[in-house]
Amino acid sequence: MKIGERTSIYAALLGMLLSSGTAHAEGTLNLLTWEGYADPSYVTQFEKETGCKVNATYVGSNDDFAPKLMAGGGVYDLITPSLDTTKLMIDLDLVEPIDTAKIAEWNNIYPNLRALENIRKGDDVYGMPYTWGAIIMMYRTDAFKTPPTSISDLWNPELKGKISIWDDKSSIYLAARKNGDMNIYNLSDEQIAAARKALEEQKPLVRKYWTTAGELVDLYKSGEIVLSNTWAGNMASILKREGIPMTEFIPKEGAEGWVDIWMMVKGTPNTDCAYKYLNMQLSAVGQCAISQINTNSVANPVAAKTCMTPERFAELHQDDPTYLDKLMVWQSLGDRYEAYANAWNAVKAQ
Amino acid sequence: MRHFYRNIPAVLVLGIPFVWVVLFMLIPYGVIATYSFWEKKYPVFIPAFQWGNYQMLLADPQYIKVLLRTAKISILVSIASFLIAYPFAYYLVYRCRSARVRTWLYMAVVAPLWISYLLRAYVWKTILGTEGVLNSFLIWTGLVDTPSPIFLYNQFSMVVTLTYIFIPFMVMPIYTALEKIPKNLIEASADLGLGPWRTLMKVTLPMSLPGVVAGFTLTFCLSFGDFVAPFLVGGPDGNLIANVITTQFGSALNWPLGSALSIVMLIVVLTIISLSDRFERRGTAGGH
Amino acid sequence: MATIIELDHISKQYGPDILGVDDISLNVEDGEFVTLLGPSGCGKSTLLRMIGGFEEPTGGCIRLAGEDVTFSPPYRRAVNMVFQDYALFPHMTVGDNVAYGLKLMGCSPREIDTRVFDALHLVGLYDKLKLYPHQLSGGQRQRIALARAIVRRPKVLLLDEPLSALDAKLREQMQTELKQLQEKVGITFIMVTHDQTEALVMSDRIVVMEKGRIAQEGTPQQLYDHPASRYVANFIGTTTFLPGVTESISDGTTRIAIGGGALDAVADIALPVGEAVTIGLRPEKVRLLEEGEASTNTLSGKICEVIYYGLGLRLGIELAGGARLYADKLLPDTLSRSHVPPLGQPVRLAVQPHNVFVFPGEVEA
Repeated sequence: MKIGERTSIYAALLGMLLSSGTAHAEGTLNLLTWEGYADPSYVTQFEKETGCKVNATYVGSNDDFAPKLMAGGGVYDLITPSLDTTKLMIDLDLVEPIDTAKIAEWNNIYPNLRALENIRKGDDVYGMPYTWGAIIMMYRTDAFKTPPTSISDLWNPELKGKISIWDDKSSIYLAARKNGDMNIYNLSDEQIAAARKALEEQKPLVRKYWTTAGELVDLYKSGEIVLSNTWAGNMASILKREGIPMTEFIPKEGAEGWVDIWMMVKGTPNTDCAYKYLNMQLSAVGQCAISQINTNSVANPVAAKTCMTPERFAELHQDDPTYLDKLMVWQSLGDRYEAYANAWNAVKAQ
Repeated sequence: MRHFYRNIPAVLVLGIPFVWVVLFMLIPYGVIATYSFWEKKYPVFIPAFQWGNYQMLLADPQYIKVLLRTAKISILVSIASFLIAYPFAYYLVYRCRSARVRTWLYMAVVAPLWISYLLRAYVWKTILGTEGVLNSFLIWTGLVDTPSPIFLYNQFSMVVTLTYIFIPFMVMPIYTALEKIPKNLIEASADLGLGPWRTLMKVTLPMSLPGVVAGFTLTFCLSFGDFVAPFLVGGPDGNLIANVITTQFGSALNWPLGSALSIVMLIVVLTIISLSDRFERRGTAGGH
Repeated sequence: MATIIELDHISKQYGPDILGVDDISLNVEDGEFVTLLGPSGCGKSTLLRMIGGFEEPTGGCIRLAGEDVTFSPPYRRAVNMVFQDYALFPHMTVGDNVAYGLKLMGCSPREIDTRVFDALHLVGLYDKLKLYPHQLSGGQRQRIALARAIVRRPKVLLLDEPLSALDAKLREQMQTELKQLQEKVGITFIMVTHDQTEALVMSDRIVVMEKGRIAQEGTPQQLYDHPASRYVANFIGTTTFLPGVTESISDGTTRIAIGGGALDAVADIALPVGEAVTIGLRPEKVRLLEEGEASTNTLSGKICEVIYYGLGLRLGIELAGGARLYADKLLPDTLSRSHVPPLGQPVRLAVQPHNVFVFPGEVEA
């Protein structure tokens, strides 16, 4: 609807015009984050203990952070972009460095996460790794005699109208791997064009490009699709609870990995409360909650051990610090971002 | 000064709409128009004056393609709305004898306007889906033996949903136009020997044309700017121009290109509105 | 003359107790100009619309030239209508409006042109062919509506209050024009009006209607001179009603006592002596007697009201018994003070017995 679309643009622009003057509210932490990252199960306790109030606004995509912060100026104190977006935040000068000395369990974080390049600039650390997971594939167990094993199965003409992939530029990563191009964060123009071509060929087979976790769950539940990519752990566990037989698998071309990072918005006056929140999130309270609510793996194995059974600990690959290295962890695309996004948009425009 | 105080009510009455228009219409349009000349440059974009964004819209076939697709969907929605709305409004005005039934039927069409847009679109998702109401019905009647996926996640389902959502905007102007036609003109036509069908074609339809044009304009422009139906019931080939704009302002972080697209869209819509306005003014000049 | 329209016990019932038209039978002869006259709500328009086919009767039968058309739709009847506000198609030119009904009749384009020309010529508006209705005056529109209706040469032309939208001056002019036109084209006209003057001037025959029924029908003169009821006497022309009592009856003449005097009347109805009746007197039929002038059938009273209406004076006269009536006095070429009688002046009046209407029953309030 034209009105709605225009209003949202106006709102963004007006916000930009008007909010440059509005300041952070002191004593109240404003979070721009994913659902589950400010769950009442621990936030209420946190508010009681610290006297800091917590307000959360939720995003649907990593692409929401930059537009919201650019438009909404100084409203937010803490954000949680994924690893491929953190560098953009730093480059856009939207976030400020973190004093790791003020985070008690900093050294309990997996060393390879602490060393991530995309959360650093010079000697400064800009982000606190929080939780992580893989982007893998899943299928309805009752729909296959021979289980799918490869990304190529998403191009199987026999599954016409029964597959779905994420409506995201990461589809380019997927198609590139199918083409045998494993340098997915550093593709040449030719490789991107080849990925685009593969996705255009796949298009007639696609029932719908999924946009949210809830939508993918619905597509399976209403019997529309049988095979898709997915956020590991998350949607499959919801579907299993609904009684739908699902199997997750890592395709033989490998899986992407993501890490969500807490970052502090530049100029926040609530640093005290912010550090208290970060400390809570990295402690057993926060780490255990997120692994239960969103079925994610977490960054602090010491904390995770206090609440997980050994089986669960292994299931979430918390016992294997090199597991993450096997995943193709998202990286900032830098100025190549547009080439990827544009190719994906061109696919959708077809 | 006394003069000023005496005029305070007038200043308020005229001033508030004026400020509103400037603040919420002109300034945003101006901002969008300005952005459309800026330049995309990592990490975001920089002020500039160049036609690159507009050139890109012409050079990269994906934008023309989406524009044409959006126009096609909008025209189909307008035509489908017209084909349903006209007989319906005609029935209400000319055939429905009970005023109560008429009010109820009219409300039945208009009332969905008060229901959330999203909810209305979701309804169609549950009707058209592979395991949806329509397929269950078809299987029950024995017309098909296996559920068909052809009703949802394609352009057909978008046209159906958009038609359902925007049909009040076709019914209302046509109903008003038909109601304004003096009944004795219909009687005069019958009196001069023309049966109901010929009377419809020669008197009722031509005289209700302003309402039809208004309905076409509204449904076309509303469909042209829609981005929810593609999102909910559209398939892989369902991307419309508003979705592209959303993407440019969101994930692509390319506000200049998004602005250029918005301006193009604005020009299309304004052209349609002014054409229909011209038509309507010509219509009334030839009328009473 | 042949009968063109037969209405055979026509009724129109709207609800369980609402009768629009109540059992009317009426024949209209070919070439006749018949007017349905009555106040609003008397059923005259409903009757006309049933003849036109816009409404269906709930009882009875309508025959047009011998053919039963009771339930035929309007577009299958050789009848055309001039609507009250003309109902010209605003999106068509005058020419297209007039030609509208011809194209379907199988006329060649050439014939259509000729007939449109003739019809517009007849109403004197051929030069307006290319104009749109909104560019015409009220009187011109009314003529175009007429041309459009007669161009199809219907057997019967129906006119629904055709002149009511015009101003008084134009209306008077159109009355004669319409009448002349009807005589020229020779089509049967059935007109509905609530204006008695219109009816009197134009019609061959007037049908006065009251509450869905025919109160009286006849030529204008019959209705004017011999109204069958107080209702008709009141509706056509001006009548003052006085209470009276029958005194004696002899030789077709009834003597009726009126407060302070008595009048002879030629009564159409036989009444017993001593019966309370209502007397109807038309002011123009009541003559003021000069001083000492001898006359029969007189009354006396005194002047209590003087109304000037251009053509003469209408004098209100109070009789000895207190009843009031009106008498008209025509004025000579030049009016001087002496011609206007002072209030309170005693006068004597004379009326011809056949101009005294006698209706049974007492005067109604």
